[in-house]
Amino acid sequence: MSGKRYFEDVKVGVTHEFGAKTVTAEEIVSFASKYDPQPFHLDEEAARRSIFGGLAASGWHTAAMMMRMLVDEHVGESASLGSPGFDDLRWMKPVRPGDRLRVRSTCIDKRESTSKPFMGSCRFQVEVLNQKDEVVMSLISTGLVLKRPAAEG
Amino acid sequence: MAELCWEDFETGQTLEYGGHTVTKEEIVEFARDFDPQIFHLDEEAAKDHFFGGLIASGWQTAGFTMRMMVDGFLNRSSSQGSPGVAELRWLKPVRPGDRLRVRQTVLSKRASQTRPAIGLIESSFETLNQRDEVVMTMRSTGMFGRRHPGGSAEETEGRS
Repeated sequence: MSGKRYFEDVKVGVTHEFGAKTVTAEEIVSFASKYDPQPFHLDEEAARRSIFGGLAASGWHTAAMMMRMLVDEHVGESASLGSPGFDDLRWMKPVRPGDRLRVRSTCIDKRESTSKPFMGSCRFQVEVLNQKDEVVMSLISTGLVLKRPAAEG
Repeated sequence: MAELCWEDFETGQTLEYGGHTVTKEEIVEFARDFDPQIFHLDEEAAKDHFFGGLIASGWQTAGFTMRMMVDGFLNRSSSQGSPGVAELRWLKPVRPGDRLRVRQTVLSKRASQTRPAIGLIESSFETLNQRDEVVMTMRSTGMFGRRHPGGSAEETEGRS
């Protein structure tokens, strides 16, 4: 099947694993400088004295890297209408310079919109894993997806 | 010792801080690295899209909110990160020129079960634009160093 992945094409219970992002210390500091300038995301010395025990990425940076991997995986395929948000996001393990991250995503349910007949919503259990197969972050994300237009076969 | 420790937060307390004016350049730069969907990247293409113009990635709105939290109080506190976000909703698009600020309400506080030097604070956050519309809401927990580690049970409020 070519073309966009519409609401009808999303399969409940199916798991996809994808992505490969190695995060550098420079990227960690660059993101944190703009969006989360707390000392343990900026400076190795300060981070050593903190709960993190060493330089660690902002949790929001981990989330942003996850989003990039999601978009790259579904580029040109998804008839996405964005997301209303997410639930139960957990930052479970620090993400360190040199960590290699990937994403594992399972559709856990989907439902048609009652108010907007051209779309539906799908919920995904999404996990970000590192090279040691540890889950560093997880969340339940909701995506809004167009239904296949009547004109297409 | 930081100015604001776990003991200094009170259930029901509200804090307001910010603001940040969002630029088109910031929107495109973040989207290029983290959320390269067309409506976050290309002003012309975005005009024909569902959102009717260039909008910030929701993850960037979360990032702006975090920056305002850090500048607003976290970097004066004994913050030690966060175990996570119970719930986040993106309610309204954020467009170039929007000016954002944050309104926070402390919901509950509790001592850590595992780390005597840490306490947790759960808060709800609203990110507002210049029209006082709520563009994003979030409920999340922050970890803070305690001025008095392993203190008495009566310092614990809410669910333990």
